[in-house]
Formats: sequence, structure tokens, C-alpha cells
Amino acid sequence: MSSWMLSSTSRTCRRTYPTFFRTLTTTSSSTPAPENAPNTHFKITLRRSAISLGDRIKGTLESLGIHRRMQTVYHPHSPIVAGKILKVKELVEVENVPDHLVRTKQQQTLDRRPKRGYKLVRSSRPSI
Amino acid sequence: MFGAFRATQVNLGGLLWKIPWRLSSTRKANARARLKKVDAVIEAVRASGVECSALDQALELPKEHEMPARDKYTIFSPHAKGYRKGIHKVPKWTRMTLRTNPKGF
Repeated sequence: MSSWMLSSTSRTCRRTYPTFFRTLTTTSSSTPAPENAPNTHFKITLRRSAISLGDRIKGTLESLGIHRRMQTVYHPHSPIVAGKILKVKELVEVENVPDHLVRTKQQQTLDRRPKRGYKLVRSSRPSI
Repeated sequence: MFGAFRATQVNLGGLLWKIPWRLSSTRKANARARLKKVDAVIEAVRASGVECSALDQALELPKEHEMPARDKYTIFSPHAKGYRKGIHKVPKWTRMTLRTNPKGF
């Protein structure tokens, strides 16, 4: 929690959020990102909807924390999560990611948000 | 020619079966792409190093490049002539695991 807050404040043009949100996983973004860190998490994205596939499949997605299409969630490697993924393998896209690439919902929102301010491309005024 | 009582295929013959009896090459290509995506999911779970029975079962499934065309585009049916029908006749076939045949077929 606090490690991410530190990294967030160090970046410019990024809003700092109070610490009311919960982190699903531990992130180690205070340390520099290692190049060949071992993969520890599944990055799961729902590509196909589970509409009309039955409550078992829909419930599996709910238990993975997926509520809508194109939503991405991260889960640590475990047999339980692996079984759930394989139950819905036609619907999801899975990637193995290291610890420092795990993003919470709030972090994903911030990553999508465009940077504030503007960049000067060209000025009509002659340069002094 | 026009009007409510015009002679159309539906009016003359009753039922007009709109599902083609075989897949077009485009639909077959899309089906292969979907199979490959599912293979990638299984491969990602295998690469994670997790061991579970669900993974063992998933690894038992033939991969897209190992499957014959017969299994990719048709499916066993006890009622169809020759015991095969187009896989696209199965409801929700794009989101189901339909890779293997019953024993002996």
C-alpha cells in the first residue's frame, strides 16, 4: 500500500489517492523493477461474455472477481485459480506476470487516464 | 410479386433451414483462431508451474495443430447420417470445449 503511494507521488501529474482503497496483492514498486523477475501471478482478461452459458460458468467468473468483458484481474498462482481459469478457458485470455506488474483496479484506472496538462508541439510566436 | 401472400420459399415450403450444412472457409479460420487462443490459455497455466487435476485434464485435450479437420469442423451426433454433423449446429459452440469424440467414434 504505502510502497505504491510513494511511487505515485514521485510521478508528476498524477493525483494521489487517500489510502482508503484496498490492495488485492502486494506490490513492490518501490524497488526498481527487476528484469527477469519470476512470474507469480495470472493476469486474466475476460474476452468472451458468459451470457447464457449457465450459472456454473458465470459463478466461476464471479469468483475470479470478473464482472464485465475486457476486465482484467490478477491472481497469484495457485491450483484453485488455475482450475477456475481452465473452467472458463474459452472466455479468458491469460498471461503470467511477475509481482511488480500486478495492478489493482485503481491502478489500472490511473494507468488508463491521460496525463494532465499539455505538451507544446509548435508555437506561432517567433522564438526569442 | 409483392404483398403479404407472395410466393416465398418460406410460404411455399414452410420451414426454411437457415443454418448452412457446412462452415465457410472464413468461419473455419475463425474457429481455428479460437482453438489456438484456448491452447494459449492452457499453455499459460502450464507455464505457471501450478499442478492440479484440471490442468492434467486440459493437457489431455488435443491441440489445434494436432486435431484432424474432421474434429475441428464436425462433431459426433448419434442421430446424424454417418454419426457426424457440422460443429456449428451445437448451441454456443464457440464457447465450449468440443475437441474429443466418444470412444469408438
